[in-house]
Amino acid sequence: MSHQYFLWMSYGAAFAAIALELAFLALGRARARRLIDEERALEAQD
Amino acid sequence: MNWFYFSSPATFYRLAGALAPWFFAAAALLAVAGLYTGLVVAPTDAQQGEVYRVIFIHVPAAWMSMFLYFTMACWGAASLVYNTRLSAMMARAIAPTGAMFTFVALWTGAFWGKPTWGTYWAWDARMTSELLLLFLYGGFIALANAFEDPRRGDRAAALLALIGLVNLPIIYFSVQWWNTLHQGSSVSFKGTSMHVAMLTGMLLMALAAWMYAIGAALTRVRTLIIERERRTAWVRALAK
Repeated sequence: MSHQYFLWMSYGAAFAAIALELAFLALGRARARRLIDEERALEAQD
Repeated sequence: MNWFYFSSPATFYRLAGALAPWFFAAAALLAVAGLYTGLVVAPTDAQQGEVYRVIFIHVPAAWMSMFLYFTMACWGAASLVYNTRLSAMMARAIAPTGAMFTFVALWTGAFWGKPTWGTYWAWDARMTSELLLLFLYGGFIALANAFEDPRRGDRAAALLALIGLVNLPIIYFSVQWWNTLHQGSSVSFKGTSMHVAMLTGMLLMALAAWMYAIGAALTRVRTLIIERERRTAWVRALAK
């Protein structure tokens, strides 16, 4: 196997791991926004 | 400056929101510069050829895996000693990023090991202790989320993080204490034997990893703050 295979497998996996973490961070942010919206709805009910 | 001012989740939420994009931007710029220096400017290694270029992702990831664990344990200790909410949340926010860097260090190490040592994996002291670090991160995350009362989860996970600290010197000194397959450090406080372009590329990538980790932890802690504090007056005020 050429050196390119080992380099692509290393850098590719590293960037995939970072992309996955960023996606989870975005999901978490969306969840936080939803919680704030729920509080907003509760506030409106009061 | 009164640092306790920033230990309030309400204050820190806003501070983290203002700082996180800057850390991500710095990480992106440093990564571009680091990758260019490492993959284009740095010369081919006389012994390992082109494959050595895995170093520019492997070494920063390995450094960050240990540094983030240490930082996580420090926040855990602060939460146990001072009983501050934010410290425990910071420890929780760091753990997934630390686990990610540990995984990257192990994975890239395997793809560096195959062409240079002839094997993807060996139960060598450095690799085994790094794998144990990944399990410690996993244990921390699982334990922190295992309790219905998050404060109990915080305390249990902080204790585990502190016990796991003993693994850090084992990882770092394993190549000196035992006869391992893994090579010794190329960079130390005494100096380095590396070519200046190789060293520059590696340090730029390490800085990029550092900036990314701070940005990710700050972003995650904001979610944790909202989840924990959503019934408080300041979150209700934020909702207006």
